[in-house]
Amino acid sequence: MSGSSLCGVVEPADFQAAAATAAAAAAAATRANSSSDRDEWSVSECGFMDPEVQRTMRSGSAAEDITQYPLRGWQEVTGEFIAACQELIPGELAQDMMFGLFEAMSAIEIMDPKMDVGMGFDKSDLPPPSFEAAITMGVIKLDDLTPTELIGIFDALFSCIVSWLEGNSMDQVLFTCLYLHAPAKIKDKPLRVFCTAVRNLIAVIKSIILLAGVNEEEDFQLYGNSTLLSAEKAHPGNIFGYLKEVEDELVRKCKQLTSPEDLMSVVHRLRFMRHLFQVIYQVEQMETSTGTEDRMSEIYKNLNVASELLPLIRKTIDRGTQPVEGSEAPNPIGFSTRIHDRSQPPSFPRSIKIRDRPASFQFLEEMISRFKYACKVTRNKDYFSALNFFIEYSKKSGQCILSRSVLQAIFTANLRMVHGRMPMKQFLRHSVQAFNSPPVLSAKNTVSSDPKVQQQLENFFRYCISLNTFTMFIRICGFNRARQRDKLGRLIENFDAIQVDAARLDSFMNQLANERAMEGNELHATALKHSTHFSTWVLYNCFRAMLIYLMSGFELELYAVHEFLYIYWYPYEFLVGFLVSALTRTENILLAQEEYAEHLSKTQANGGSTSKNRKVAKPRKNKKLQRPYRCEIVFYHALLSLCGGMYKAMGALTKDGRVRLPMDTFDNEEVRYIRRFRPFGSLTSPPPVSYQEFKSIRDHMMLASVEDLYSVAAKHFDQARNILENIQNPDQEVLDLLQIARTNFVVMNVLARGHQKDVKRQPEFDFSKHSYFPIIKLK
Amino acid sequence: MNFCFTFLKSILSIYLDKTKMINDQIAAEGKEDPPSLPVITYTRFADETELKALQGLIDSTLSEAYTLYTYRYFVYQWPDLCFFARHEGRYVGVVVCELEPNRVGLFEGYIAMLAVDREYRKQHIGRTLVIKAIEAMVAKDVDLVVLEAEYTNKVALALYESLGFIREKRLFKHYGNGSDAFRLTLGIKNIMLPFSMECCEDD
Repeated sequence: MSGSSLCGVVEPADFQAAAATAAAAAAAATRANSSSDRDEWSVSECGFMDPEVQRTMRSGSAAEDITQYPLRGWQEVTGEFIAACQELIPGELAQDMMFGLFEAMSAIEIMDPKMDVGMGFDKSDLPPPSFEAAITMGVIKLDDLTPTELIGIFDALFSCIVSWLEGNSMDQVLFTCLYLHAPAKIKDKPLRVFCTAVRNLIAVIKSIILLAGVNEEEDFQLYGNSTLLSAEKAHPGNIFGYLKEVEDELVRKCKQLTSPEDLMSVVHRLRFMRHLFQVIYQVEQMETSTGTEDRMSEIYKNLNVASELLPLIRKTIDRGTQPVEGSEAPNPIGFSTRIHDRSQPPSFPRSIKIRDRPASFQFLEEMISRFKYACKVTRNKDYFSALNFFIEYSKKSGQCILSRSVLQAIFTANLRMVHGRMPMKQFLRHSVQAFNSPPVLSAKNTVSSDPKVQQQLENFFRYCISLNTFTMFIRICGFNRARQRDKLGRLIENFDAIQVDAARLDSFMNQLANERAMEGNELHATALKHSTHFSTWVLYNCFRAMLIYLMSGFELELYAVHEFLYIYWYPYEFLVGFLVSALTRTENILLAQEEYAEHLSKTQANGGSTSKNRKVAKPRKNKKLQRPYRCEIVFYHALLSLCGGMYKAMGALTKDGRVRLPMDTFDNEEVRYIRRFRPFGSLTSPPPVSYQEFKSIRDHMMLASVEDLYSVAAKHFDQARNILENIQNPDQEVLDLLQIARTNFVVMNVLARGHQKDVKRQPEFDFSKHSYFPIIKLK
Repeated sequence: MNFCFTFLKSILSIYLDKTKMINDQIAAEGKEDPPSLPVITYTRFADETELKALQGLIDSTLSEAYTLYTYRYFVYQWPDLCFFARHEGRYVGVVVCELEPNRVGLFEGYIAMLAVDREYRKQHIGRTLVIKAIEAMVAKDVDLVVLEAEYTNKVALALYESLGFIREKRLFKHYGNGSDAFRLTLGIKNIMLPFSMECCEDD
């Protein structure tokens, strides 16, 4: 920034010299300082602690008139500077305490056009016009815009919104539109109302994303021109009315026109904005107010209208003014693309590619359907199904920050509505009941009112909340796919504490049952009859986190081919089996409880009043629910066979010399293995599996001949095929896995028969059908 | 932080054509020895005069410029971890590294930049530079070596993978141009800290 005044005088021969002189000046300053005073510069002395300085740093130079050079007390120091440089040898660097790698990288070399943004301006260039300047220059129109002009501006603004939601800074996309700087000054009513709506939309979206808290710096830029944004007061509650009013006026106008098509296209855009705004506004309101159910149906209605309008809008894109070819501006009028260049931090990208209009409307269309999908989360009444929903949603909508945030908002609001003041705690309690129905959680249970039991349960669920493990698991599914894995790694370590507590609670219940039995209170003892309900529930969720953590490495392309062997081995040998047994155990518990209930009703029925007779029918009706996890269990069986197939296939391919292995100069398989399974290392249950254990199991497998290994792998794939084929009403995922199992079965058989025996090429692993399992392709 | 690591795609077909041409030439001339690969010598960073060469090598392969401070930050603090590949008078490759205790106290080596002149690719110069750098780090008792590489940089990824690096993390939209990167790790010593300790949030 200070470059222009300084370099005008010095004229250094090249950048290197310039940098060296700058370094020298810094050195001189430091020396001068340290000679008079031995203390080093502290943070406070540098001024960074000063609240005023901090505020200025945070706000950027937004408050300044961006068309002017900053007005500061510049002082000529060239003489002293040159003199100070004499003391240094070329390249000698005076490094300040605060000047580290980050500073080195975000420093700019003044006058280097690659870094110094000011170099992009020719001396004769006019500064990028501000809103006021554009009015004076007469390049911006405030009144009587034609429908064509309006459509052009509206569509460009939609593109800007989309580009902003894709992670670009608000300043570099949205606020390059001068109309957004001061909508109140626009005389043309449709444009004024639309721009006011955009301004408010930005504020509401920002608030939803902040509240949901599933954003990362790469998803969403919080940095933005807050001064501009707060210049006009936000009043989102009124936007709907404004839009409706101007829309009605235009519709009336249309009726008087012989060819109202252009104007109707303007109306469609205003109407789309109205419904989109309404959806977003309602979602935000859900966070703070009650009446969620009404809002949900309101949101759904608006989403439907919005998605009906989009095809009409997409068809009429060409009715608007179009961006000039070669220009960075998304529309010929109303945009000043370089207006914020000078106020961006140096590490920011210099120019942003704004999405084109058809792609932007495509994005909006997909976003609307993602919102519709998100609304369905309210159907999931317990943790088990809610978690399933979040995992699926993330697979399909993981890349859109607003969609992810909207899901969080709806889910939280719905929890509050169903479960009241302590939503998460109540929800978890309800969820354990729904999962494996521990007798003590049943309201009918004779001991559930026992204060000791109540206290224990209260403690457990409070602990669940304070450790945040379960809540966090759901939230993690809201983050982008790359970040999820990291966060899951940490989450898995957290499960240990809660597992210990769950096991303690289970044993307490059993102990109490024994005590009551000793006391001769058979009724209480039976009512307390308890299995490993709580620990099974905790473990099941922990296993899921572990499986997602491990398999997401395939989706993120983290694993090298030579690593596939141990990665597939772990779920094959342990993890998927754990999941199956947790679910099977749960089903057995439920079954036993049901039989017991039936038995109880029968004995009561034999005792005989008519009112009790009616109860007899009840357990029979529930019979269908006896195996609530059948689908999951079958699916996990298929996964087990697929993992087994891949593990054996990798063993065979490795032994066959078809897998490229790392050079052993620095490579250490044990270190790699431990790093890959590191989050599992701190769990008590399941206990970590050492490298030696893995190695001995693998080495044992590898004793078989290559042909046998290929054949065994083929058998696993055949088993997977068999299970998958028997799934009724298969979804796309099942069909894809089926194709993978079938193809790999054939490939393994071909290799077992000695195909391409002399060509030891590494096969291709094609993950395009499924992110966890590849189709093995021989080249 | 946007570090970009080089090794751009080499054009295989051109390379093959060249080889074929040379072979034809040899066949025509009969008795001449086949032209051997240029003899490359490897030297450590010596002084400021080499900075221009270093900057030239990196700049020519990257779109985004590093400030001179960035180069100086590395080469003056760890001159013994900066190696040049040289062919006669010409600087044809460079590796720039850092070695510091990380925030959990492990001694962490970081390969910051690697570049090889386009005309000298496919001669294992990059690999040799990396091996030299890691050997120098091992001599200084390094615990692990890390770096970032662009998602699309298949050549660099293959090079590091062949040395035993694992892709530990996907860094979403890591570079200024919006592309993803991988964080690669090579564990030299078998020291394992809890995941949550070592893998805290990126700055």
